[in-house]
Amino acid sequence: MVNDIREIMREAVASPPEEGNDLAQVLRTGRRRVRRRRTGAVVGAVVLAAVVTAGIGWRPGGEDGNQVANRTVPQPEGPVLRLSDATEGVEGKDYDVLSSRTNKDLDAGNGQYYDGVTEDGLILFRDGPHGIDNRTRLALLDPATGEKTWLPDLDEDGQMVPVELSADRLVLISTVYSDEEGNALTAAPRVRVLDRATMKWSTPSWPGLPKGDVASGRIGAVGPDGRLYLGVLATEGQAPPGGWSTGPDGEADDAAAEGETYDLWSVSLTDTTDVRDEKLRVGDYAFTDDALVWSATTNGINERIHVRDLATGAEHDFDPRSGERCNLLGLGATGDRIVLSQYCGTYDNGRDDRIQVLSTEGDLVTTVQGDGIDGWIVDNGGRDGHLVGVRSVTRTGEGHYVFDLDTGRLVKVTDSVSSYALGGPAPAGQLLWDTGEGNGEGRIGQDKGATQWLVRWR
Amino acid sequence: MRDEAEFVAFAQGARLRLRRTAFLMCGDWDRASDHVQEALIRVYVAWPRLHRAGFEYAYARKALVSVVLDHGRRRSSSEIVAEPDPSRAAEGDLAEQVTARAALMTALADLAPRQRACVVLRYFEDLSVADTAASLGCTEGTVKSQTARALATLRTMFDDSPLGELTLGGPTSW
Repeated sequence: MVNDIREIMREAVASPPEEGNDLAQVLRTGRRRVRRRRTGAVVGAVVLAAVVTAGIGWRPGGEDGNQVANRTVPQPEGPVLRLSDATEGVEGKDYDVLSSRTNKDLDAGNGQYYDGVTEDGLILFRDGPHGIDNRTRLALLDPATGEKTWLPDLDEDGQMVPVELSADRLVLISTVYSDEEGNALTAAPRVRVLDRATMKWSTPSWPGLPKGDVASGRIGAVGPDGRLYLGVLATEGQAPPGGWSTGPDGEADDAAAEGETYDLWSVSLTDTTDVRDEKLRVGDYAFTDDALVWSATTNGINERIHVRDLATGAEHDFDPRSGERCNLLGLGATGDRIVLSQYCGTYDNGRDDRIQVLSTEGDLVTTVQGDGIDGWIVDNGGRDGHLVGVRSVTRTGEGHYVFDLDTGRLVKVTDSVSSYALGGPAPAGQLLWDTGEGNGEGRIGQDKGATQWLVRWR
Repeated sequence: MRDEAEFVAFAQGARLRLRRTAFLMCGDWDRASDHVQEALIRVYVAWPRLHRAGFEYAYARKALVSVVLDHGRRRSSSEIVAEPDPSRAAEGDLAEQVTARAALMTALADLAPRQRACVVLRYFEDLSVADTAASLGCTEGTVKSQTARALATLRTMFDDSPLGELTLGGPTSW
């Protein structure tokens, strides 16, 4: 007798038993997972903000004999936008202000800040730290009514960075430094989770997480699966013998530096025995709606971007063609777009700072290039996130700009930036920016105060 | 805003076919339903990008394969697929068909999960080697070798039973 495998398989499935057609459950779970992914991607923006802010600072100078000679800022590959290409943004036409808060004199004492916006539209409001104990109070502020709901006290004196602000929970991380062996300080994350239903904080810790610089450089990211992802420092780049070259401005120029890498781990926020080595070495990383995107290295030259489809595990990678002297300072991703923030050297005619936008397939979408700019995805960076905030601190182009990934428009929205590191993640289509307040009189970094603005983009 | 109506229409149309594929890969209709449920959730999450690109079903199938293989890795060794003994051939054509089906399901259950997936994708979904490799996230060479091993095992099981020879029937696309 002959048995045709195709025929037998077709017969085997010809009369399947009835099943409940529960597509409603698919939709419910799918929506919840999308919300989580949005929140996970927000983390990329927050961390990017921190990294970029760090990256804009100068390193100690080297010998004058090493000066980078007589060169001008090179042209990036692909389409390029400059700040002069921006149109002027108009309130009521391009955006609406939902809320603002001014601290008039932050030199005199700490104030009250907007540290982010929850998925359901409430501002994470921080008062402090104040007093000899450096105590901070947190609240959720409704921008529509101005009403605050104070959160239970938290015995925390470190700077807390929000990594998830969902309708279900708030997850904040601070960094704790220790020198148990009397050697260099080791950084470790301290995680605080607020269950918004019970309004109770928990402080999980994971004995199985390896020792080492867990939080250094990378604060962490909540993935689409609800797990907290952390990078453990694996390799560090070294300064060249004799120190960095000196740029035309007399400052050290560490462009084209050797980068650093991290081993990726993940932990459950509800089960402290659940610690997983992801067996992945990354530079920087971010979650999109349906993918994990990472660079080979960070804080230095990066020549590879990797994309993993989270549903199937399929991976591909490509050369981002970032330029031969570009240090990757931060990586964000949303939908099918990847945003790289880079410092690419200092030349006779200024700094070469870039915010490079690529597709997840490696296509060069556009590069915003300028002297003294940084930028990152400022709304949630998830499926619906589409706003890249660009911050310029040059005398000629000071201000906040918004690059809309959906329309390709670059819009200038303020003529001033504050000299303080403020803000946090916001839901899709919303963003926080800040302007100087007080006696700076146009001198960058001299303003005594700051105003934060929560804005809905149109 | 994602277009849920279009996703629902796709899911309703694809569900039965996906469930059949899942059943052949796991041998249990209830588990097949669970796997399809999870695969469709993954499709929902990726829907805006998939819909723009127009490869919804291929993605859904790939997600399904991933779900089934992931589950297979986690599956308890005590979890077995109970099927009739292929050596006990029954009388008559209908009985022979039923026995052949049961024998094939038992034989498939004994294959390694990836080998089983290769057989189902190649001979039930009628995918080419290249498309099978894309669905499994492996090389074409791996698909060829895994499929060849799987078929050898299946043929041996049939040859050793009263059911007779197992063939591939129609043309095979490479």
